Amino acid sequence: MGKGKPFLEVLASAVHEDFRFPFLELFAFLYTLGTFAMANFTVSVYSQVSTDEAVAFAATTSLIGFSMIIFLILVFKNIAYGLGSELEKGIMQTYFSYPLKRWALLTAKLLSGIGLSLLLFLGIQISAFYIMAPDIVSTQLGTIILTYVANLSYPLFISAIILLLTLKLRRGGIGLVVGIMLYIGMSVVSSLAIVVAWATESALGLQIISVIAPTYALQYHYAGLSGISSVLWNPTLTEAMLYVGGSYVIVGALFILGYVYFSRRLNL
Amino acid sequence: MKRGINILGRGGTTLIAISLALLLVSLIPQVRTFQAKGTEFLSPGEDRLVFNQLNITPHQEVQLTVTVEGKVTVYLLEKSLEYRIFNGTIDYWFNVTDLQENPDQIIWEDEVENGEYTRSYNPSRVMNATIIVYNQPDSEEAYLQYDLELRNALAPKEKAQNIAYWAVPIGVIMATPWILIGWKQRKRNSANRLGT
Repeated sequence: MGKGKPFLEVLASAVHEDFRFPFLELFAFLYTLGTFAMANFTVSVYSQVSTDEAVAFAATTSLIGFSMIIFLILVFKNIAYGLGSELEKGIMQTYFSYPLKRWALLTAKLLSGIGLSLLLFLGIQISAFYIMAPDIVSTQLGTIILTYVANLSYPLFISAIILLLTLKLRRGGIGLVVGIMLYIGMSVVSSLAIVVAWATESALGLQIISVIAPTYALQYHYAGLSGISSVLWNPTLTEAMLYVGGSYVIVGALFILGYVYFSRRLNL
Repeated sequence: MKRGINILGRGGTTLIAISLALLLVSLIPQVRTFQAKGTEFLSPGEDRLVFNQLNITPHQEVQLTVTVEGKVTVYLLEKSLEYRIFNGTIDYWFNVTDLQENPDQIIWEDEVENGEYTRSYNPSRVMNATIIVYNQPDSEEAYLQYDLELRNALAPKEKAQNIAYWAVPIGVIMATPWILIGWKQRKRNSANRLGT
């Protein structure tokens, strides 16, 4: 038996568990509905950046909003609940009997839990965007992709934290709570950082947040953060992309940590 | 083989779910956000500004209904005209020869002669829009009655419905073998349970 077949066996089993009928259909329905319901093409504040780019960024951000919550719920369900209960009930041990390296086993689980959810999310979002505004998608594809990449960084960061906690504690409950708190907490912290930036005339807090949530750097690249007398923060596109790159280095490092723990330290 | 049917079946049911969401979105009624009605007499060579709006979005639809006695040309242009209101009248600058130099600004150019004309436009990006009715210099005086509406919708109705109408049958075809196998298996299981 080749190495590909057991991997596909585990992947198929993980997909079957994560997306039991009618979960996949329900989430696809919600993604579609959420994308159309939340789309907003009006932009009130522009920076020096060309209007078309700012419109594409604003429209993409509005599309992402609600669907991102659905994506996170799906990831929470698959990682914290799904993987957590498999670890807790000892089902994971049966997978270890497959002729597969542990990293490949975790890859199959993550491909099902996060990869498929991401595929569904991006597939529906970009198709819906194209139905609504084909000219924006065809002329501003680069901006749209960059906006998605920036917006997905923080949810993937939360997913990595949940994965680490689930593996460490061998149950998903705490990981789930921490994930929800991290998601809600970021909007509170970012609002505070904006107030602090206005009060101190320094955007340092927002710059720190942007290291893990680079969508703020991209937002202020397009719209600029204005203070009372001057623009507090208006990063260039290169700077915004550096924040995006930096955030993915952190996300990558967290997932590698998860892989290392699952491969070497997890004793079941 | 069975795995292939499973993947195809779930793909089909997902396609049906997406189509149902699209149908639902397209059935949500449009909201009228702006309406302009009027009657005008247009002398030969004269034009009338009917609609001039900055930044109309893909969520909006412009619908124009015109009843004409005489012969006029209706233009929808991808531009906004500079205008000022002076003594209750709108003063704007428009020259039909400018359009010949910039034909890319013309979205519609429809001639209407003695009859009713209805047309709607749903932009595919954020753009400025102007509707002008022009009476050619070689025509006679024309009587014009217009009704313009700007509506907001969640999705382009026709496009969303067309996609859904195509996707539902495809989804059903993809899902049928999977549903049949699942149904037969369930029937067999229940028969076995009754037998024991």
